[in-house]
Amino acid sequence: MTNVIFHTGVIFDIKEFALHDGPGVRTTVFFKGCPLRCVWCHNPEGLSPKLQLMTKESSCKKCGSCAVSCSHEECQPFGRCIYACPDALISVCGREMTCDELFDRLMKDAGFLRESEGGITFSGGEPLMQPEFLAKMLDRLREADIHTAIETCGYARPEIFREIAGKTDLVIMDLKLADEELHRKYTGVSNRWILENAAWLKESGKAHIFRTPLIPGITDTEENLAAIKAIIGDSEHELLPYNELAGAKYPMLGETYRYDQMKGSVL
Amino acid sequence: MNKELYAFITGKHHHIWRKDYCGPDAAAWKKAGLTPRERMADRFVKLCEQEDPCLLPGQKLAFIRTVKNLPDVLTEEEWTDIRAKHHIHELGYLSNLSPDYATVMGTGLLKAKETADPCTAKEIDALIGLAARYREAALKAGDTAMADVLAHVPAYGARTFREALQMLRILHWSVWAEGEYHNTLGRFDLYMKPYFERDIQAGTLTREEAYELICDFFLDCNIDSDLYPGIQQGDNGQSMMLGGIDKDGNSVYSDLSVLCLRASGEIRLIDPKINLRVSKDTPLEVFKEGSRLTAAGLGFPQYSNDDIVIPGLEKLGYAHEDAVNYAVAACWEFIIPRTGADIANIGALSFPKVIDKAFKKITFCETMEDFWAEVEAVIKAELDEMTAAIGDVWFIPAPFMDLLADSEDISRGGRYNNFGFHGTGVACAADALAAVEKYLFTEKLRTAEEYLAAVENDYREDTELLSLLRNRAPKMGQNTGAPEKWAKKLLHTFASLLEGRKNCRGGCYRAGTGTAMYYLWHSDELGASPDGRRKGEPLGTNYSASLFSKLDGPVSIVDSFTSPDLTETVNGGPLTLEFQQKMFDAPDGVDKVAHLVRYFIRKGGHQLQLNAVSRDTLLDAQEHPEKYPHLIVRVWGWSAYFVELDKCYQDQVLRRQEYVL
Ligand code: SF4
Ligand code: SF4
Repeated sequence: MTNVIFHTGVIFDIKEFALHDGPGVRTTVFFKGCPLRCVWCHNPEGLSPKLQLMTKESSCKKCGSCAVSCSHEECQPFGRCIYACPDALISVCGREMTCDELFDRLMKDAGFLRESEGGITFSGGEPLMQPEFLAKMLDRLREADIHTAIETCGYARPEIFREIAGKTDLVIMDLKLADEELHRKYTGVSNRWILENAAWLKESGKAHIFRTPLIPGITDTEENLAAIKAIIGDSEHELLPYNELAGAKYPMLGETYRYDQMKGSVL
Repeated sequence: MNKELYAFITGKHHHIWRKDYCGPDAAAWKKAGLTPRERMADRFVKLCEQEDPCLLPGQKLAFIRTVKNLPDVLTEEEWTDIRAKHHIHELGYLSNLSPDYATVMGTGLLKAKETADPCTAKEIDALIGLAARYREAALKAGDTAMADVLAHVPAYGARTFREALQMLRILHWSVWAEGEYHNTLGRFDLYMKPYFERDIQAGTLTREEAYELICDFFLDCNIDSDLYPGIQQGDNGQSMMLGGIDKDGNSVYSDLSVLCLRASGEIRLIDPKINLRVSKDTPLEVFKEGSRLTAAGLGFPQYSNDDIVIPGLEKLGYAHEDAVNYAVAACWEFIIPRTGADIANIGALSFPKVIDKAFKKITFCETMEDFWAEVEAVIKAELDEMTAAIGDVWFIPAPFMDLLADSEDISRGGRYNNFGFHGTGVACAADALAAVEKYLFTEKLRTAEEYLAAVENDYREDTELLSLLRNRAPKMGQNTGAPEKWAKKLLHTFASLLEGRKNCRGGCYRAGTGTAMYYLWHSDELGASPDGRRKGEPLGTNYSASLFSKLDGPVSIVDSFTSPDLTETVNGGPLTLEFQQKMFDAPDGVDKVAHLVRYFIRKGGHQLQLNAVSRDTLLDAQEHPEKYPHLIVRVWGWSAYFVELDKCYQDQVLRRQEYVL
């Protein structure tokens, strides 16, 4: 990794007036890239750390005009020209931002965020996948006296997890599946780091909330919820209901929603 | 709320009492040699005589319309004649005024009659006659309380809250019955407050009774509203202003205002349309109460900012005591009760059209300054043309309305006779200017010839530019600074080029940011624009972002749209924010919206409208209108039943939904 990378991050969205991502009104920054591959994930554009093409499939006439070779540098990775669509249906998902750029952008909302006792939340994807960039952002916002929160799946080296937790005001952490095998099966990775980080977080004295998405037939089973309860003890725990529209963005990225395909077998 | 009355009104059971007007028409009046004023009086008298006193179940305030139509007072030939000599605004009858109900409410009609002219006096007699027949009907129905009220009002001044409401109902009914339209309700919590407080203090009225009476009055506003003229059903201008300050600078907002906000939220009908005056010092609790009403999904309240509107009106020449008394006309145009005879919607400057015209000369512009000079020149030319087109305005006299104004003949003008111009599509124009500056003059990505050709071709040959403009270019609402700079200049130029112009009634011109129906009309006549808007694509409503721009959310939108000096555009025209209904279900959702509204006010916004809607609901309503007879959406300055709108308006509302925050 070169030094430059530490100072730029890849994000895929900034949403103001988020009401569910911590106290008060928040501006939420979505980091691009996630080490997990949850089958139910509703943020497909947050998975790959690379820039991706997004097409408004519903309006696309499949005219083929975009399948031309062009000389735009930004189009080269895609094999399609992002400027060729007569209806401007193609866009690039994700943008690289320097620390300064993102900080300046976020500080524009500072007056309102302070007034409403809100702050800034880093979500994703997985913010801990860009730890240097995240650490820098958190430091700068702390200097500026802005409340920060992170939303994480908890899958990170424990040293990194602890360092970042120390820099933010609130950690909102997912606990999806307590059983390691099931975790592997449905998210693609072991939950060992996650459990270790959760155990640490619980005792750390850092403000935190655990969250479990209720995925029918996968995480909402009695055994799983009981096991999670046993892990987190008295910590605050939110259960997030599954959204029927979760798969809506997959076609835009030319991907399929695996949860829909699996539903038949798991349910 | 009186559920029985609600069911009766929304079930339209009173429609069976409706009948056609029968009596003299324009031809007969012409033959009899009556002046327009005399005809208005005669028509009012005939209407009162034909009216059948009808009482709805449980109704506490009497008066409904049973005669459903009125004949025009002038014949076709007379109109043709008059139109040749005069500028006739809309239907030719007075509209969009804020009548002074308070004075007559206090004195009674008999007292007012002493100084009234013969035509007005005739109308007063007819009205008192009709009230007497209503009294008999009440007695017959065994409702002695109502009969007692009607024994006193409207002939004599109101003494109690209930009498005052009954008087208001009758006066408001009368201006509609006379033939004026978009008759607003003005500053209800200001003029009703003395009655309310006196009765509460005397112990003759409980808060609950007051609330029930307010609910009744609000329900009553929906009885006849379908008979009242407007562009679309719902566009009847029965707006009500709450809050603000009185002439001594004291806050008007009181417990009475709270009851009104709650009544509106409980009733959930389209009238009256609630507006709320606030300022940077308004307590957060007021914004919370307002947001609770927003959550009801009616598109109310619409907020206006005293810190901006009052100085803005003063700049235009309104006396301080009048400026602090402002209310709102049918949609959002600020108007002064009693003294204002402004025509707040006499025309509209289309900013996208200005850009369209100026851009045709882009190939002659060597710098951005050159292009801006073209834009300025077009604005000036448009305004020259618009103001020149309004010669000698004439209205049909309104003897009853005269009673509620401080003018002998309000149809010829009052203390303020200013004309308002809407300013449509500011965002589209500002985005276009920012795009031209960036891509043509700074980055030189296109030559002027290429850019012009692209726009004229609707970008069909230059998809690269189209993509750039739609997906990457800075837009109003993103708060990047670039389009905002141009929005400031556009609005300032609009206002300052109107400054010093006198209209045919000696008044001035007021610049605004409203759109009204112009947002559909104007987009139809336009080709593509240099901001990437394609031919036929609609403009945003009022003072709002372009429909295709990608926005981060309401904080940036507020920052962006409050950056111009809005004291210069107090003809009004709100920024509209749409929220999904479910956002209000979040814990503290209402409080958080309240913070946002206060932020908008503190940043110097002039007017704000918030909608709570769900797109799924709207789509389903389009498919199954029968399931949603009462689904209300805000269309421009007014709310309407979604299923009663023409499809093009429904689609417009739906298109806006794609951009909900
Ligand atoms: S150019 Fe546009 S419409 Fe044509 S195939 Fe590509 S994305 Fe679809
Ligand atoms: S952790 Fe979150 S972002 Fe990552 S794959 Fe799972 S659901 Fe998606």
